[in-house]
Amino acid sequence: MQTNAKTPLMRVHGISKSLGGREILKSISLNLYEGEMKVLIGPSGGGKSTLLQCMNYLIAPDRGHIELLGQHIDPGNHRELCLFRQQVGMIFQDFNLFDHLCALDNVSIALRKVRGMSKKQARERALSELDRVGLADKGHLYPAELSGGQKQRVSIARALAMDPKVMLLDEPTSALDPELVSEVLAVIRGLAQNGMTMIMATHQMGFTRSLADEVLFMQEGRIIEQGSPRVLLAEGSKTRTLDFCSQILDVEGGV
Amino acid sequence: MHETLDVLMDALPYVLQGAAVTIVAVIGAMFLGLFIGVPLAVGQVYGGRLIRILCGLYVWFFRGIPILVLLFLFYFGLFTLLGLNLSAVVAATIVLGMTSGAYQSQIFRGSILSLSRGQLKAAQALGMSNAMAIRTIILPQALRLSIPGWSNEYSIILKDSALAFVLGASEIMARTHFVASRTYQHLPLYLTAAVMYFILTWIGLILLRSLEKRVRIKGYVH
Amino acid sequence: MLQRVAFLFAILVCLTMGTALAQDKAYINGIDANYPPFAYIDQSGKPSGFDVDAVDWIAAKMGFQVKHVPVDWDGIIPNLLAKKIDFICSGMSITEERAQKVNFSNTYWEVKNVLIAKKDSDLKAEDIYDKDITIGMQAGTSEAKWMADEKEKQGWKFTIKLYDSSPMATEDVLNGRIAAAGMNYPPARDAEKKKPVKIIGSFGEIEEFGAAVRKEDTELLETLNKGFELLMADPYWDELIDKYLN
Repeated sequence: MQTNAKTPLMRVHGISKSLGGREILKSISLNLYEGEMKVLIGPSGGGKSTLLQCMNYLIAPDRGHIELLGQHIDPGNHRELCLFRQQVGMIFQDFNLFDHLCALDNVSIALRKVRGMSKKQARERALSELDRVGLADKGHLYPAELSGGQKQRVSIARALAMDPKVMLLDEPTSALDPELVSEVLAVIRGLAQNGMTMIMATHQMGFTRSLADEVLFMQEGRIIEQGSPRVLLAEGSKTRTLDFCSQILDVEGGV
Repeated sequence: MHETLDVLMDALPYVLQGAAVTIVAVIGAMFLGLFIGVPLAVGQVYGGRLIRILCGLYVWFFRGIPILVLLFLFYFGLFTLLGLNLSAVVAATIVLGMTSGAYQSQIFRGSILSLSRGQLKAAQALGMSNAMAIRTIILPQALRLSIPGWSNEYSIILKDSALAFVLGASEIMARTHFVASRTYQHLPLYLTAAVMYFILTWIGLILLRSLEKRVRIKGYVH
Repeated sequence: MLQRVAFLFAILVCLTMGTALAQDKAYINGIDANYPPFAYIDQSGKPSGFDVDAVDWIAAKMGFQVKHVPVDWDGIIPNLLAKKIDFICSGMSITEERAQKVNFSNTYWEVKNVLIAKKDSDLKAEDIYDKDITIGMQAGTSEAKWMADEKEKQGWKFTIKLYDSSPMATEDVLNGRIAAAGMNYPPARDAEKKKPVKIIGSFGEIEEFGAAVRKEDTELLETLNKGFELLMADPYWDELIDKYLN
C-alpha cells in the first residue's frame, strides 16, 4: 500500500518538546502517506497526545519541523500557520465542541469565519457533513443536549467540513461510555475506507488490527516499535506492543 | 407632615431629572467599562509579558485609588491638561467607566479562565487566528458567564455615581442636597433619594437577569 | 441585541454631547446652590437667590449671556481655575488667601458671622469659647478658616466639625449632635425662619462679599464692577434686598 517512492503527504521531522523540565518528545520523525491510517499506541504519558498537538503546532515544538505536501511550515508566520491548520483536521479526546453554538453552527462557524462562505452555503455544507456522521436531525441541539458519542461525531463533522488533507485523532473514544464507542468508530472506519489520511492515538485493539496500515508504539517520548499490526500484534510475537496490548485487554475486559 | 409632603411633591420632578442624569452616567460607565474591560481581560489572559504588565498596571491603578480622588485628579488635572473641556457629567462618566473597566476586566478574566482551554485549541485547529478564536468562541461564552458579576458591578457603579456631585454633576444626590438646603427637610428628602437608588438598582438587576435568561444556552451548566 | 443597545447608547451620548456643545457662548457663574438666600435651587428647579438675580440684572444691563451652574463649594475655585466656570458670584467672602488665586470685584455686600443654636438653648455666643462643645461650620468657608485659626491662637476648647453646607450643620444642631453652628448672617436668618433655631450672637469679623474671576480675565472683572455699581444705584437693588435679605 505504501510506496516509499511517493512523497509523503505529511512529514514530521525531528520533533522534540520539553514541558516543565521533562522531555516529552525526543526527536520524533515520521511520514504519513496519502490514504494511510497510522495508529499510535503506548502508555499514557508516553507523548502521543503531545506529538499529535505538535503536528499542527497547537503545541509549539522546541526543535524539528513539519512539512505538508513537501512544503515546510513556518509557525512564526501566523497566516501561513492558519492556512496549514485548515488542511489538518484535529479530533480531541474530550470533543471540545463550542458550548454556545448548536451542532450546526459548530460545524458551520469556521466555514463562515475562516473560509468566508455565506451563511446559506455554510449551512448547507454543515448539514451535509452532519448527515455524513448520521446527525442530520440533531443540528439544532446544543452540545450540552448531546450524548458523548454524538458530540464526538459533531466534532468529526466540524473537522471534515474544512476538507482536511490529514486528520489527527487524539484518543477519540477514550472519554466515551463503552456503549457509545462503536458509533464513533463506525464513522472513523467510514473515513478510512474513503481514503482519508489519518493518524490516531487509541487503545481500541480490534479496530487497530482491522484498519491500521501501521502501528507506532510510543514510550517515554520515542517511537520504540513500528510496523504493520499483523506483525506487531501476531500471537506469540515477543513485541512490546503486544505485551502492552494484552495488559489493556486485561484491564478493559476485552474490547 | 403636610409641609413635608408638599416639599416632596415639589421636589420630585426636579430630583427625578437628576435620576435621568444618574442613569445616563451609569449606563455610559457600564459600557465604557465593558469596552475597556474586555480587551484588558483578554490581554491579561492571552497577552505577552509586556501586555500583561501594562494591563496589570491599569487595573492596579484604578483599583488602588478611591473614586473621589480619581474624580478630582481627572476633572481638574488630566482632562484640563489635555485641553478637554468636559462637562461634570461626562467627566464623571468617563472616570466611573475607566474604574469600572478595571473591575470588569477581573470579572471577564475569571469567566475566560473558567472556560476549558480545549475550545480555544479546537478553534485554532480549524484555522482560526487567535484574535478570531477569542472573538467568536471565547468571548461570547465568557460574556454570558459574566452577567451575574456584571449585575453586581452595576449596583456598585450606581452607588459610586452619587459621588459625581462633588464635580457639580446635578444627579440625584446633588439635587436632593439643593432642595434640602432650601427647605430644611433633609431626612424625608434623603429617604426619597434612597428609594430612588433602590428602585434603580432593582430595575437594573431585573433587566440584567432577563438578559441572562435570553442569552442562556440550552442545557448549559457551568 | 448587545449591538442594538450599544447603538442606542451611542445616539444618546451624541445627543447629550451635542446639546452641550450647541449651547451658545455664555459666561458661567458658579454658585453654591446650598447657600440660601444668596444662591439656591428654587421650587421649579432653577438657580435662584440674591446673587443669581443680581447677576442676571447685571448681565442684561451690560449685555452678556449668563448661566448659573451649581458647583460643590469645596471645589469652586479649582473649577474656576480649570475654566469649568467663568466667575463666582455666590456669597464669596474676599480673603487674602483666595485673592492669591483669583481677582475679586469690589465689595457688594457685607455680612457678619453669627452662631445659631436650638430655639430652647440658653447658650450665648460669648460662652462657647471655653466650653467642651462642638461647633459646626461649612467646609471651605472664610468663617470656618477664621474660627480654626483663632481657636489655635487663643487655645479655645470647643471642637470644630466641618459640613458640606450650612443647612446640613443646622440640621445637626437640631439633632443635638452639635451645640451650635457658625455661618454668615443671611443663611442663619433663613434657617431661623424655617426651623426652630435662633441666632445666639455673632463672632469673627465682618465679611465682604465680592465676585471672583480668573486673574487674566480683567475685562470681565471690569464689567462686573461696573455692573454692580449701576445695580447699587438702581431701585432694583433695594427690591432685591427686601426680597431676599430682610
